[in-house]
Amino acid sequence: MTADANQLPEGASRATDQAAAEAVGARRPVDLGQGGPIAASAAAATVGLGMPGSGPPRGAAFDDHHPPDPALLDDCVHCGFCLPTCPTYVLWGEEMDSPRGRIDIMKGAVQGDVFDASSVRHLDQCLGCMACVTACPSGVQYDKLIEATRAQLERRVTRPPSQRWLRRMIYGLFPYPRRLRALRGPLRAYQASGLGRLLARSGLLGKLPEPLQAMESLAPRLGKVEKLAERTPATGTKRRTVGLLTGCVQGTFFPDVNAATVRVLAAEGCEVVVPRAQSCCGALSAHAGREPEALAFAKRVIETFEAAGVDNIVANAAGCGSNLKDFAHQLRDEPGWAKRAEALSAKARDVAELLDELGPVATRHPLPMTVAYQDACHLGHAQGVRTQPRRLLRGIPGVEIKELREAEICCGSAGTYNLLHPGPARELGERKAGAVLATGAQVMVTANPGCWMQVATTLARMGQRLPVAHTVQVLDASIRGVPVDRLLRRALDGPGTVVSTAAPRRR
Amino acid sequence: MAVRSDNNTVLAGVTPGGMATPASAGEVADILRSTTGTVVPVGAGTKTGWAAAPTSCDLLLRTTALDRVVEHVPGDLVVVAEAGVPLETLQGQLAEHNQMLALDPPEPGATLGGIVGANASGPRRLRFGTVRDLLIGVTVVLADGTTARAGGKVVKNVAGYDLGKLYTGAHGALGVLVSTTWRLHPLPAAAGTVTVPVADAAEAGRLANLVARSTLTPTAVELRWDGGSGELVVLFESIPASVEAQSAAAIELLGGGERADEPPDWFGERPTGGVVLRMAYEPHALPRVLAALPAGSAGTASACTGVAYLSVPADADLAALRAAIAPYDGSAVVLGKPADLDVDHWGPVADSFGLMTRVKDQFDPGRRLSPGRLLGGL
Amino acid sequence: MVGMTDTEQASARTLELAERLRAAIGAAKVLTDPAQLRTYECDGLEAFRVRPGVVVLAEHRDDVVRTVKLCAQAGIPFVARGSGTGLSGGAVPVSDGVLIVLSRLRSIVDVDPDNARMVVEPGVINLWVTREAAPHDQLYAPDPSSQQVCSIGGNVAENSGGAHCLKYGFTVNHVMGAEVVLADGEVVHLGGSAPEHPGLDLLGAFVGSEGTLGVVTQVTVRLLRVPESVQTMLVGFHSVADAAGTVSDIIAAGILPAAIEMMDALAIEAAEAAVQCNYPEGAEAVLVIELDGPQVEVDEQFEHVETLARARHAFETRIAADAEDRALMWKGRKSAFAAVGRISPSYYVQDGVIPRTRLPEILASMSSLADEANLRVANVFHAGDGNLHPLILFDDAVPGAPKAAEELGFAILDLCIEAGGSITGEHGVGLEKKSKMAGQFTAEDLDTMQLVRCAFDPDGLANPGKLFPTPRLCGERPGVRTADTAPDPALGEVF
Repeated sequence: MTADANQLPEGASRATDQAAAEAVGARRPVDLGQGGPIAASAAAATVGLGMPGSGPPRGAAFDDHHPPDPALLDDCVHCGFCLPTCPTYVLWGEEMDSPRGRIDIMKGAVQGDVFDASSVRHLDQCLGCMACVTACPSGVQYDKLIEATRAQLERRVTRPPSQRWLRRMIYGLFPYPRRLRALRGPLRAYQASGLGRLLARSGLLGKLPEPLQAMESLAPRLGKVEKLAERTPATGTKRRTVGLLTGCVQGTFFPDVNAATVRVLAAEGCEVVVPRAQSCCGALSAHAGREPEALAFAKRVIETFEAAGVDNIVANAAGCGSNLKDFAHQLRDEPGWAKRAEALSAKARDVAELLDELGPVATRHPLPMTVAYQDACHLGHAQGVRTQPRRLLRGIPGVEIKELREAEICCGSAGTYNLLHPGPARELGERKAGAVLATGAQVMVTANPGCWMQVATTLARMGQRLPVAHTVQVLDASIRGVPVDRLLRRALDGPGTVVSTAAPRRR
Repeated sequence: MAVRSDNNTVLAGVTPGGMATPASAGEVADILRSTTGTVVPVGAGTKTGWAAAPTSCDLLLRTTALDRVVEHVPGDLVVVAEAGVPLETLQGQLAEHNQMLALDPPEPGATLGGIVGANASGPRRLRFGTVRDLLIGVTVVLADGTTARAGGKVVKNVAGYDLGKLYTGAHGALGVLVSTTWRLHPLPAAAGTVTVPVADAAEAGRLANLVARSTLTPTAVELRWDGGSGELVVLFESIPASVEAQSAAAIELLGGGERADEPPDWFGERPTGGVVLRMAYEPHALPRVLAALPAGSAGTASACTGVAYLSVPADADLAALRAAIAPYDGSAVVLGKPADLDVDHWGPVADSFGLMTRVKDQFDPGRRLSPGRLLGGL
Repeated sequence: MVGMTDTEQASARTLELAERLRAAIGAAKVLTDPAQLRTYECDGLEAFRVRPGVVVLAEHRDDVVRTVKLCAQAGIPFVARGSGTGLSGGAVPVSDGVLIVLSRLRSIVDVDPDNARMVVEPGVINLWVTREAAPHDQLYAPDPSSQQVCSIGGNVAENSGGAHCLKYGFTVNHVMGAEVVLADGEVVHLGGSAPEHPGLDLLGAFVGSEGTLGVVTQVTVRLLRVPESVQTMLVGFHSVADAAGTVSDIIAAGILPAAIEMMDALAIEAAEAAVQCNYPEGAEAVLVIELDGPQVEVDEQFEHVETLARARHAFETRIAADAEDRALMWKGRKSAFAAVGRISPSYYVQDGVIPRTRLPEILASMSSLADEANLRVANVFHAGDGNLHPLILFDDAVPGAPKAAEELGFAILDLCIEAGGSITGEHGVGLEKKSKMAGQFTAEDLDTMQLVRCAFDPDGLANPGKLFPTPRLCGERPGVRTADTAPDPALGEVF
């Protein structure tokens, strides 16, 4: 809790405060205790106490390049149905950190009304989870609005030095698979050395800036990287030729998932092409409003997969799949690219979506286990893919799916949100982890590396361990006849699982 | 109390200075405008002992001549009737269209206005609620002769404050009711009861709880209490098939019971003798409330609702009883007593009493209407 | 806008009040940043936007008490707000005044299934109550269509209804007790956990008072046993008259359904576009009819209802097979309001009540009025109790269209008054309809209601400017406190 709350504001006269205190029945101003059940992060969110503030935009709030569309803003009828599904509203209960409030803030900018540093902060605090898009009965395209707004903020707002440094590091690292791979060696050594536990016990870890702590805790256990063949033939009759997007974080930290994806696709009659020199698809950049960067990545991906000559491009990370489908919108104004982007977006599929579309042909061996299926936001909300993964999982004999409470609320990963806003991310992670545990399921199945790391880490911090697997890993195990206990063991202790077993950190 | 049609009338032990029986709302307004003394409104006078004796009564204002059923719209399940209409008369008219006002206080000849003013209810409150839930519109005349309406003729109505709720149970202290509008219910096709003996207070609570938590939808669950034991009657009123099915289910649930087509004679009757109390409490506390009663108490309880009508010996320590049931938000209000006995009629006031006083002072700054009859001497 | 409607003196007073509030309850709960204040300018009714001077994010009853006391001391009015989903502008702030937001008071304080009651804070969302009661086989009956977001506190202020209030009543019939902070900061307890209390039923007057009598900080609600059987059917008709006639027949047969909802063709079109509820194709009107109660009763009455519908030429009758089916049938109805946003650039929802027996005639009149105004109207209503929700569709880009829509809405309310109904069945009067109160009530009626206001809030600080067309000077007090009479804070006096 911030210390400011009990201190008297500067400039206030003693008499005024004494009068105020007596008016409400206290003897002295300092007797007015604060505190309540709302988390400390709420204080930070509301008035930004103790948070490094971004400056307001230079000059007018928004410029002419793709500002949030007033017509889309007008779609909002202020009904409020989005509020209970918005993670930040669920945490803080304030209008500014709700989709309805953020739309209002955007309107303030577009109409030339007030737009200041707090406006920037509340917009930054949006997770971009798009639960509001699912909930909205009026069809407000909040996803387009927030992405357009983020791009504006990127261009027009000066962030404080610490934030600038952090963002430069994040976006200079994660979208570049080669740089991430370069980290693997040192990271494996770090993990093997147990240095993390030493840092945690000594209390030094707690002294690092929160984002670094978050990164340290989120880094998963690294295993061997299986090299993926450039072309894997289909088993039996070939039904499709598909290209696999290997992804940056997915490819580096969860290469197992990619390998399993290739195997499953092949088993289901797909010839799988894995172009060698893939770049990041630009999802992290697009979601952060780093428009030039995102477009550059998009163009490279388009070129790569045009050359590959495939029927579909498959992504196994929710964020990536959602971004591929968004290329058409991102490049709509670029002559020479618009049509190509449309073509690619039309071919893009999430792996569960594609498998469900094709219909299963490979035999499923039983996996008797209870599964808590976690809907990744960019799969459930952004792509509307919810029934397909469940159908695929139920197609495995013995699998029983348990639904999570608050299933529509984000786990707090939200791309790089848990690095940029560790406080609320941690609270949301705890809610999600709690919901997962409450199902009593033996394994959590998810479709996104971010969710995976976030929930697994949170569980570990709570002193719990639970096997976590990707949907395709489960399918892969079933198709190959892997016994259930081997699958669960690997999901608990194998690659991708949580390294740090440090005790729960104090806030 | 006794209200006789000659000059020797007495109301709650107080002799009024005069009497008037206006035949229209306009006449009521004229009387209040043209007089300055204290006024106590009364209907058929069946419940005048339900409030404390007035500190003064210059004029006893009888509403019995306001006896028109103004409008009944069966298709809307709504009826408008003047305050002096006896409930029984109204029910008779409504029954011709297979409808009813779902209020069943037992006092014979009671008028609608009196029922509202005294907040009288009977066993069927379990299913249908009380005046609060059935009264949708009122017209009153205030102490200065102003005539004012609240509510309306439609059930769904949130325009303005619902003053009908304020006038309910106010014993005429805020204004004289002249007209009432009610929401109606269809008359049930059939009825049936299941009666089980009750050996003690714990048993009473156990059985009531079983019914309350079940999916049965009785219109009433009444306990007859005879100072230590009694019987429980569950009344079903619905289509015949449902009455049969639910009665059978009730017998199984309660582990026995006798079937009958009608409730017993004591059903809904108020006890008499000693000090008669209306008690209210958290429903689940029924056994503890029964246990707190002094020896020789008898009466009935709406077992699943948390309301009971009990007669306790005249020398009972009311303060102690009230204190004993206070933990269950319990209250005990006097409905009747021996004429010469002095009792604390209402019990202690709550923290909202200041607010109640202010409301009374706004409506009746001169304290003309039913002075001293309400809680805290309002 | 800040500073535009008030004098500089008034704004300075408000900022000074903000400082005292920060000292009293903590800076994190007191907002004065204009960008943040802007987001609180309106509730679910976008038409009225007023910027408050200060927003207080209360987290605890004491925050409310302290805020109200400081407001009373400064003579600055306050408005309470829950989730901000009201449709009559009841939570629109007073310009330069204080807005007390209760959305952070959202604890479930006590669950007492034995006594079938729950104690909750006012920011608790309506649906949470039923969710919390479900493991005990209990539910909370009032179910406004916005129940997934509207707050119990807001429900108390508006006496909210919902589809199931035909059988079960409204919020006032399901609230047993309330803790209220009066306009001078005094805390009183109205009602309680027992079914009766000696004295005046102040709780009955408070529920539905639209925030003009005080701020509720805790509510005791009544729970009902989940019925043994719930059966829902969706019926398609080729004419509104047939649907309305069916409703009358059901009532005449002595059947009291838990809910009867009607939607006309335009409303169906919108709902279909929004949630793909798959309503009977080509229907001019659909009825969603729900019966609940003991199995035997429901089964027999349900069959009877079906027969009655067929007798009125229903062309399709669909019976919900399971909970999922039932939810989908209701989804169309419950999202209808916001869903019309998909078939029209703007819309304006009205709320009026007419006696059920006049339904076909009033609908015909409404249709003519709409034609005259050159506007489309989609109709959604609680057919069982005559509560209409005409959704007036318009394009705000067309000059004069918003005004025409509003006028049509008010013309419909006039129809309601003439028919002996009401200008509001559940959304409340708020800011939007206070001008219409004089049509439904006489000056004496309104003055008498305001006597209650004077008893609760003689200085008129609680949500002023709402509900009543003209404020009344309160009896003994010689006029409302004005800025000039505020005490000099430097002297440390406390009033």
